[in-house]
Order: sequence, then C-alpha cells, then structure tokens
Amino acid sequence: MSLWVDQYRPRLLEDLHYHHELSVRLRSLASSGDFPHMLFYGPSGAGKKTRITCTLKQLFGPGIDKLKIDQRVFLSPSKRKLEVNIVQSNFHIEITPSEAGNYDRVVIQELLKEIAQTQQVDLNAKQRFKVVIINEADSLSRDAQAALRRTMEKYMSNMRIILCANSTSRLIAPIKSRCLLMRVAAPSAKDMQAVMQYVSKRAGFDLPLDVASKIIDDSSGNLRKAILCLEALKMQSPDLSGALTIAKPDWETYCHKVADLIISEQSPARVMEVRQKFYELLSHCIPPTIILKTVADRVVERVDDAIKADVMHWAAVYEVRMRIGSKKIYHLEAWVVKVMSLYKHFFYGMDLTGFD
Amino acid sequence: MSTTASTSFIPTGLLGSSSKSHTSKDVFIPTGLFSTAPASTFGPDNAFKPNGLLGLGQHATSTASGSSFIPNGLLAATTGSQTSLDDLTAEFDLPSSQDMIASRATPSVPTFVGPPSTTLRATNFDGRTIFLRRKPVNTARRKLAAATQTRQVGTLLDVPFHRLLNEISEDKAKELSRETPQISHASLNSTEADDSLWVDRYRPKTFTDLMGNDRVAREAMEWLKQWDKCVFGKSSKGKKRKRDDEEENFDMNDPHQRPKQRILLISGPPGLGKTTLAHVIAKQAGYEVMEINASDARSGQIVDDRIRPTLETGYTVKSSKPVLVIIDEIDGATGAGDNSSNFIHKLVQLTHDKPRKKNRSSQPGDKRTILRPIICICNDINASSLAKLRPIACQLRFQKPADVHTVRRLREICAIEGLKAETRALSTLVAVAKGDLRGCLNTLQFIQSRDAEVTEAVVRRSTKGMKEADNSIISALNSLFIPLSKKRAKELGLNDEGESRYVGRISQEIDSCGKDSAIAIGCFSHYATLRRHDANFSRYEKANEWLMTFDALSTAMYNDGDFALSPYLTYSLVPFYPLFQERGAPKVERGQEDWENLQLTKSNEEIYKSLTRGLQVASTRQRGDFRHLGNWPILQLEFAPYINRIISPQLRPINGQHLRVDERPLMSRLVDIMTNLELRFVQERAEDGQLTYRLDPPVDVFITYDGKRASDIAISRYAVRHLVAQEVDARLTSRQEDVVDRGQSGKHANLFGGNKKGKTTAASVEEAADDSFKPSPGKRPRKDLSANIDIADRPPTDFFGRPIQPTAVGKKPQSSARGFNPLKSSSTPKFNVAYKFKEGNSAAVRKPVKVSMFL
Repeated sequence: MSLWVDQYRPRLLEDLHYHHELSVRLRSLASSGDFPHMLFYGPSGAGKKTRITCTLKQLFGPGIDKLKIDQRVFLSPSKRKLEVNIVQSNFHIEITPSEAGNYDRVVIQELLKEIAQTQQVDLNAKQRFKVVIINEADSLSRDAQAALRRTMEKYMSNMRIILCANSTSRLIAPIKSRCLLMRVAAPSAKDMQAVMQYVSKRAGFDLPLDVASKIIDDSSGNLRKAILCLEALKMQSPDLSGALTIAKPDWETYCHKVADLIISEQSPARVMEVRQKFYELLSHCIPPTIILKTVADRVVERVDDAIKADVMHWAAVYEVRMRIGSKKIYHLEAWVVKVMSLYKHFFYGMDLTGFD
Repeated sequence: MSTTASTSFIPTGLLGSSSKSHTSKDVFIPTGLFSTAPASTFGPDNAFKPNGLLGLGQHATSTASGSSFIPNGLLAATTGSQTSLDDLTAEFDLPSSQDMIASRATPSVPTFVGPPSTTLRATNFDGRTIFLRRKPVNTARRKLAAATQTRQVGTLLDVPFHRLLNEISEDKAKELSRETPQISHASLNSTEADDSLWVDRYRPKTFTDLMGNDRVAREAMEWLKQWDKCVFGKSSKGKKRKRDDEEENFDMNDPHQRPKQRILLISGPPGLGKTTLAHVIAKQAGYEVMEINASDARSGQIVDDRIRPTLETGYTVKSSKPVLVIIDEIDGATGAGDNSSNFIHKLVQLTHDKPRKKNRSSQPGDKRTILRPIICICNDINASSLAKLRPIACQLRFQKPADVHTVRRLREICAIEGLKAETRALSTLVAVAKGDLRGCLNTLQFIQSRDAEVTEAVVRRSTKGMKEADNSIISALNSLFIPLSKKRAKELGLNDEGESRYVGRISQEIDSCGKDSAIAIGCFSHYATLRRHDANFSRYEKANEWLMTFDALSTAMYNDGDFALSPYLTYSLVPFYPLFQERGAPKVERGQEDWENLQLTKSNEEIYKSLTRGLQVASTRQRGDFRHLGNWPILQLEFAPYINRIISPQLRPINGQHLRVDERPLMSRLVDIMTNLELRFVQERAEDGQLTYRLDPPVDVFITYDGKRASDIAISRYAVRHLVAQEVDARLTSRQEDVVDRGQSGKHANLFGGNKKGKTTAASVEEAADDSFKPSPGKRPRKDLSANIDIADRPPTDFFGRPIQPTAVGKKPQSSARGFNPLKSSSTPKFNVAYKFKEGNSAAVRKPVKVSMFL
C-alpha cells in the first residue's frame, strides 16, 4: 500500500483538483495530434509530475501505467560507471539525469539518441512518437543542455521531450524557445483545502477545517508536503482531537534555531556555535542553498525593517558564491559573519570602524 | 687516496672487534672536536673551564696542529694541500676571541695583564699559571675592541653573545674573500683531474670510516658476523666474547647455524649513509654484494628469478666470495596487499622455506635453503608494505648523527678540497639539511664549483630550495597565525626588514606544503577561536572574503581543470597573517571537525541511498507509486522527516492479538508501509545487555539533530517496536512464501500449489490483480495466471494440508484488515467470491475450467 501522496494522486486530467484551465489546455493539446516539446515549471509540490502523468495517459491511454523500473549503467569518458534509474513504459521513458552528476551529458546523449533513433514499433500505439520525461531539468549542466537542443529538433518525428523544472532561470534560452512552457503554480489555500478534504474523505475520516488550514499554512503551497504532513498527523494521533502540533520537518526547526542564535548574540563564540549547527545540517545532506534560504527567511522575519533588505541582499550574494564554490561551509559562515556585523552596526546605531 | 692512511686502523678495527674500533673512535673524536670546534660552537667563556680548551689555544698557535688529525684517514690523503691546511688551521684559531676575552675582561679579572704585554697570564683550575702568547690584533678587530671598550666599562659582555658571533663570522667571511684567490686556484688544480662527485669520493670505504650511528653500525656488523658460521664455516671471533646476548639470536634447531632473523632491515632518513653502511660491512666481512634497488623491477617475480637462485648457489658468477643481497629502497616495493605474488610476501616466504625444504632435501631439483644474508634498506619503517617483513627482520634504525660530527667531517673534506669553509657556515648548512650528509656534500661541491668560499650567506643562497623541503600543514598554519620568533628569523637569515615582509615567506611555506585546501580548512577552523577582540567583525569579514576567494579559485581549478590558477591559490591564504597573527598565541591545532563532518555526511548519504533503494523497490511493487519521493531534494527535505513520523504511531505495547478494532487498521497500515519501504526493526543487544530494536536502515538519524530526537515524535518503546517487528516479519515471510508458492504453482500449474491464496477477501483479489500489472521478469506472468486459477478454485478448507496453518492464523486478522476499507472486507461473506480474470502479460492458453475437474 502506498502513501496517501501516491494513493490519491489523480491519474486523469479530469480528476485534477485545481488549475482547471491548464487541464483543459493539456487535454486539447494531447488530442490534437500535434504535441510539442513541453517544459513544466513551478515550485516543488505544485503538481507538475502529476500533470505530466495525466497528460501522458490522455495521450497514450492506459498502457502508460505498465511501468518498468530498472537501472542502466553508463560509462563516463573516464570509464567511471554511472548508474541511472529509468522508469519506462512502452510509450515513454522517465529519467533524472542529475543522478549522474557532472556526467549528465553522457546520459542525455546516449539515452536520447538511442530512443530518438528507434521508431515506435507498436502499431496499436495512439501516437507515433515516444515521450521522454526529464526530471530536474534545471540542474542539467550546460553541456547536457547543449546536447539536448539539437536532438530536440532533429528527432521531432520520433520523440517528444517533457522537461520538468522548478524554475526556468537555469535553462538556456535555446531550450526554452523549443518548448511550450507550462507554468504550474502552487495551489492556493482554497485549492489545497479542497484537496485535503478529498484525501481525508477517501481515507475515510473527517478532517477538521482548522487542522487542515494549519497544515496548509505550514506547507507554503507545497501540496506533497501538506499531504505527507497530514498522513503523519493521522498516524500519530488517529482521532485528530485535542491539541495538535503540526510537525515541521526537523531541519526547518533546526534552521530556525540557528537564526535565533544569530540574532540573540553576535560574538566569535557564537560564530563557532553557529558553525557547529551548520555542520550538523550539512551532514544531514540538507542542500546548503536551502539552509541559507531558510535561515535568512527566519532572520529577516525577526530583524528590524531597516536591515531586512541588506540581510536578504547578502544572502543572495553568498548563495551565488556558494554555487560557484565547492566548500559550502565557508560561504554559510561568511554570511553569518556579515549578518552579525550588520546587526551589530544597526543595534549600536553607530559606526564601529574605529574599534578593535 | 685515503686507503693508505686508514690502513693503520685496519688491524684493530676489522673483524668484528668492535670495542676496539670504538675506542679508537673515542680517541679520534675528541681530538677532532678540540681541534676543529672554534669559538662559534664553544663560547669563549668555555676557555676558562677545562684545560682542553686552553690547550686548544696553544694548539692553534702552533702551526703543526694539522698533524694531530692526520691519522683519521680523510685528511691524511692530501699531503699535497698541506699548505692550505695549515692556513686553514691558522684561520680557525682563536686569537680574536681571546683578544676579546682579554680586552673585555680586563677590569674585572685581575689575573690578566694589560693589553700592551705580548703574553697573557692565566691561572688554571689546578692553580698553575699559564702564559698565552698574544697574537697581533688586526685592524678591524682592534677597532671593534676599541669601540666596545669605550662603550662598556666595568661590565662584562653587554653586546649579546649571538651578535658577537655574527660579527666574528662576518669578519671571517671578509678575510676569507680577501685571501682566497691563490689558494682556491691551487686546490682547483689539484682536484681538476678528479671530477667525480664528492659524495662518491668521500664515501667511507672501510668500517672505521663510518661516521655517526656507531651503535647501529656495530650492531649491523654483529648481525652479519653471526652468519660467519653458516657462510664461512668458522665461528666469529666476536662470538666468544659476546656469547650471552648472541646466543639468543641463534636458532638452535637450524642445521646451518644461521641467525634467527635472517633479514636485516635498516631504516632512516635519506642521506645518512644506510646504503653505504650496508656495502661497507658487506665488504669488510668478505661478501660480494648483489644490490637490488628501485631501478630494478621489484615484483614478486624478481625474488624467484634473481634473488632465490643467487642465495641458493651462494656465489655470484664472477666472484669467489659468498654473496650478500642488499635490497635497497624496499619500501617502494610491492607488498601492501594480500596478493601472494608481491615482493615482500615472496621475500618472507623465502626465509620461511626451511622446514619444508628439509623434508624434501633428497628430492632432486628442489629449492634449497637460503644460506646467505639479506639486508633490506628503507626510509620509512612504517610503510604499509613492510608490515609483513617487520616481525621477522632484525631492525636497525638510523638516527641523524649529532651536528658536530657532521660538521667535523664536512670541515675535513673542505680542507682536503681546499675549500675555504667557515665552521659557522657549515653548521648552518648541516642544520638546514637536517643532517643529510649527502645533501651537504652536494651543496659544498656546488659552492666550490662556483669558486666561492663557504660563508653563511653563500650557504643560505645555495640551500634555498632545501630549506623548507618538507613542510607539514601544522607548521604552515603556525606560521600563518604566529609571527616568527626571533630565533627562527635568525636561522632563516632574515633581518628586521625581511621579517616584516611576510608575503613571499608565507606563500612559499604554504606552497611547499602542497595541501592548500587542508590549510584553508585549518585557517577556517582556527580563526574564530582566537582571543583577539573583533568588535565589528571587520577582520572576520575580510577573512571570510579571502576564504571565499580561495574556494572560488580552487573550485575553478579542480572542477573545471583550470590549473593555470594554481599559483594564485596560496596568496589568498596569506592575508590571514596580517589579520590574525598574534605573538604568543597558542599553537594551532588542526581541527578534525571538518573531516568528521565529511565522514558523517558520507555515512548519512549511504542511509539516504538505502532509503532510496527501498523506495525503488516499493515503486516497482506499487506500479511506480513511490518513485517521485526518491528524488534528491524531496527525499531529504520532505520525505525523510515525515516518513519517520508516519512510521511511529502511538501504539499500546500489547500483544498483537489484543489490538483494539480502531488500532488494527493503523497497525496494518504501518506494517504495510514498512514492508514496502523495506524498513525493519532489528533486534540488537546493547552494551549493557539490554535488548533494543534498531530501525534498519536507520532513517531516524534524519530526525536526530545534535543527538536529540525530534520532540514531537513519541519515543517508541521496546515493546511497541517488538510488536511491530513481529508483524513486519510475519508480513515478510508471508510475502516470501507467496513467491515460493507461486514459483511452485508455476511449475505444476494444475496442482493446488498456492493454498495460501485463501485470503478470500476483495482486498487480496485486488492485490493479486495488482501483481499481474507488475512488470515482472521471467516467469511471473504465468505464475500470476495460475495463482488466479488457484484462487478461483480455492476450497474453503485447507484441503491439501500444506503446513501453513500458523502463518495463516497469524495473518488472518491482518489480512482482514488489509484493505483500506476494513469494514467492507470484514463484512464480505466468506465464500461469496466473484472473480474476474485480469489480463497480464501472459501468453498462456486460457480455457474455462470447473472445480469438479480438479476434485
């Protein structure tokens, strides 16, 4: 039995709960016979992959549900073995090239060419082409994206590509121009409320409205998170009564703790303390950019208006540098020191450059 | 050349009478010391103590002093350059220092007569009065003396001692440069014919020539002598004397009377004469040397092809002397792994061959015992490849000889070569080279080839590269955070201005260490612990700025292969010096924090990976349901925290049979999820003997920060975990049996293999149908088909009496609760089943069958 997130995931375009105009559009596209390359983008947990699956079902019919999941091994130029998981049916294939790290180009080149150069042999297939879904397209390296662009044009007759990304900013323009861009926005609170009620009804219990809205508040538009949270809540306190605490992911709580540390004291000792916490977060494999963003959000919430903009500005600056560099902890700490310095200057309301 | 001179020692020093050679050395050392060590090593104040040094003064004044070290072989050879020798000794006498003593001590030491007289009177400790002849003072000295005299009346040395020494050596250098031309010419002429390396020319030829490490040399010789009985068939002379300790090493059972440890392993830093020692003792003991060094291939095959035959025959082709194998640079040989064909392994085998050999010695053509000694030489005794060799070998460790000895030897050589050498410069050279005699000699020869005299400045110039040849991360960090001590600055020959110029010095130091990123991490972990107050974080900001620059550069370098950037890398760390240097700061300790974090990250990554694998398996089973949760950021950010909460519901610790109705679905769902994701509770015994259940894979680390579990998750008690673990295990076994049963029924499609399909609920039917959708490899489709038939024909009782009763009983409550709508399933009448055949990927022939056909 699956988790609710999967169990009650809509399988058909008609079943989707929100963004109906998008569903209509997708249906007409799928039935028109002239299906373009597509790029689905939007925040995490907005329903991009659900919509892609639904569209595929509309395109190919139930055959799309017969999935085969396997691993394929690619050889990098330096003869290293790269394992990539592939989910495929007779009509489509789903890959996450970022699993191969720096060598995603190899995966893109080999796999896509292989698919693109074989024609659909199933005469009963509804469409003449296969669909390739590329997850996490925004983490594709520049090389991989370049490898993609020519393939997208050349093998149009055999293959369509659906890219799935969080934001389009890291995709090169040629790719964007070859795709039909589909923005899947995060659901509104009302939409989410409806979905939560639907899930609870299917699962066979009544969800009090206030509990639902609490969960929705915490999940900030991430429906997957909300449903996972709901299930966790239901598992922990089956009757949903009494004082409920909506569980936050632990790393988030921890990040908030870090932010509080930064604000409550500015000293070298505190810098060391914060560094400890960052190490702890990093060792839990929380992406450093997320750490920076979460901590910065929290800090901004708590500091005075006058330095809010500065805090965010520096967070952005250091995030860029973090992406350029490879030793993440340096950049995290650099930001902390910067913020402490800003805060101190502001707090004492004077220029401290003379002191030392 | 020197052999003629040293023959005089041979009768006493040879043939293992080591004590003799030692005493001869003992005699030999003091004379060398006193005649060579000038004021720079023993301060002038020493002059009052023993009569030895006063004797030195006399020695120095007598021009025949050179003859006192003629016997030591090295010097004796060059009778031709006697003039230069005399000159040298004249140079190294101590008129100046005596002058200074005299002039400075005048007011306070009444025993001295005033400056105008030509002799000095001094009283010995014995009370005897000695007269010292004064040498005429040269002008520079007189000026100095006059200057100092005027400055300090009534005090002893107020100019720091080391500065005085500096001045002396500078003066000496000046003098040297004034006098050089003719002499160096003469010496050049004498050496022109011989253009061999000094290292070779002055390599010790006999045992008595060996310098330093007397004990090691003697022990090595002793070890070699133990072979005499085996090799030459006679007992060594030394053996009689040293019976007690030598007997220990002898293998009494050995028919060949070889020493127990058949390999000698000499280790030590380079340039101290390990190889030379091995060769010398081999020659002295009458062996012919076969050397195997890094220039030869050193695979295991060499042992079989070359070493073994040589050792077995015992003689080389062209010589009648017995052979001795020297394996040089053995730490570079293969041997780290467990591979039986590597060099070390074979070598060890070679020494152990004996018992087997003895049994089969009658067989013709069989390998014989090795009867010759082996000497192995290495730099690093702890090299991993030597691990197997160490226990069976006799180990000798070379130490760096005391600097005085090395300096003395160098001075002798300089004297022979006619190189003007100042003792202070030589000791600097030895200190810089860290006792590496070979390096010193090469440097000296290089200096001579440029026709210069050896002064401190020249030595500094020519040893620039040698200076910081090997540099640890710690020392680089220390020099970043702690300013140079005065002493060190002097050692490096820096004046105040040079000291304040730190960029070149520090960048070079970091560079020579070669581990930029480790140093960067060291800087990072250290800077915030410093005591210096930083009110506005400006220094911290700058430091971080530089660290980020470093990171950006090194990333560009290593990830994009832009290695042109590497020269700039070190400079981005240098600014830590002006920012944080602090005199008297505590030594930098290298933090393990970063490394520990890295290890932890790696182990956590592994846990994520196994969780991902669990998700993959689950998604294969559940038609791709879980696959979207396994993507990288979603996994850590959303799935990992929540799955921990989902799998830890609040259950009462009771027997599974007594669960309340409302708890059953909870339980079954929990078990479902856990089995799907391959999460299990594994029983373990803690150190205190208490049984615990551990989650495997341990995904609960993801809700554990700072060693504390998330507070909102109830601590799952042992009893609860026990209950869950049991249920999970039951589910897993039932699933396995499922597979096994289906496998059997696949083979005998017409038999009732799968009795267990008696779970006659709608849910189970649905599940079976689900299974048929699974893209399953191999024979699965057919199995599904037969399974379906089984269910269709399933009689209400366990007709065929398969021993599944217990599992069936254990499963019944669960299976009834399995569907997501338990009410519906439990209300279904037991035999009222409707079947629909769902098509799988099956090519089997379908035909309607009736139950009666099977009965």
